[in-house]
Amino acid sequence: MSQKACVSCKRISFKERCSVCHNPTSDNWSGFLIIIDPENSDVSKELGIELPGEFALRVR
Amino acid sequence: MEDTQNSIYALKTSAGQERNVARMLAKKAKESGLGLRAVIVPESLKGYVLVESSTKIDMRNPHMRIPHLRGVVESKDKKEGSNIVSFEELKKFLKPEPIISSINKGSIVELISGPFKSERAKVIRIDESREEVVLELIEAAVPIPVTVKADQIRIIQKEAD
Repeated sequence: MSQKACVSCKRISFKERCSVCHNPTSDNWSGFLIIIDPENSDVSKELGIELPGEFALRVR
Repeated sequence: MEDTQNSIYALKTSAGQERNVARMLAKKAKESGLGLRAVIVPESLKGYVLVESSTKIDMRNPHMRIPHLRGVVESKDKKEGSNIVSFEELKKFLKPEPIISSINKGSIVELISGPFKSERAKVIRIDESREEVVLELIEAAVPIPVTVKADQIRIIQKEAD
């Protein structure tokens, strides 16, 4: 089964709906980002990510 | 809140192993307290991952012994901090522009997937909202318009002559 990315928060999971924001997920995503420490990361602040985890950079 | 002092380093990996290296780096960071904040794998940078770290990346650290991780990208300039990527440079990877915005009418492209894979074609129409392009195969005897998704093509020549 392929990994999917949430169309809203871009979080990567195997589910049909995002486990955090409950929006639908998409197979068509690219770029990969792992946020380890969202509180101290400039990248997560730039992208508005508040929880650690794996994210896509672009979801269609 | 205190101001964080994070730097961005580029790490060389084996081609095609970028995501695996990123996952292993994240795992090691959680276990060992490496100062990593985030790991970025931009689609356009094959063979590299970018890491945001509060500490200097040192490949001699035993926690950095990860399969397929080849080393830190060093600048020829030996100045302190010269191997650090600026945050401005990183921003363009964080918010990649859709491929379709760089395609023009008349561009020569190569199809990279689908039944016409590796055929060359000329762009005759662009549908930005659906991220589709209408192409005309160059080598075909009869010009038939083919509609494909923008991510199925690679630009060879941006402008028509």
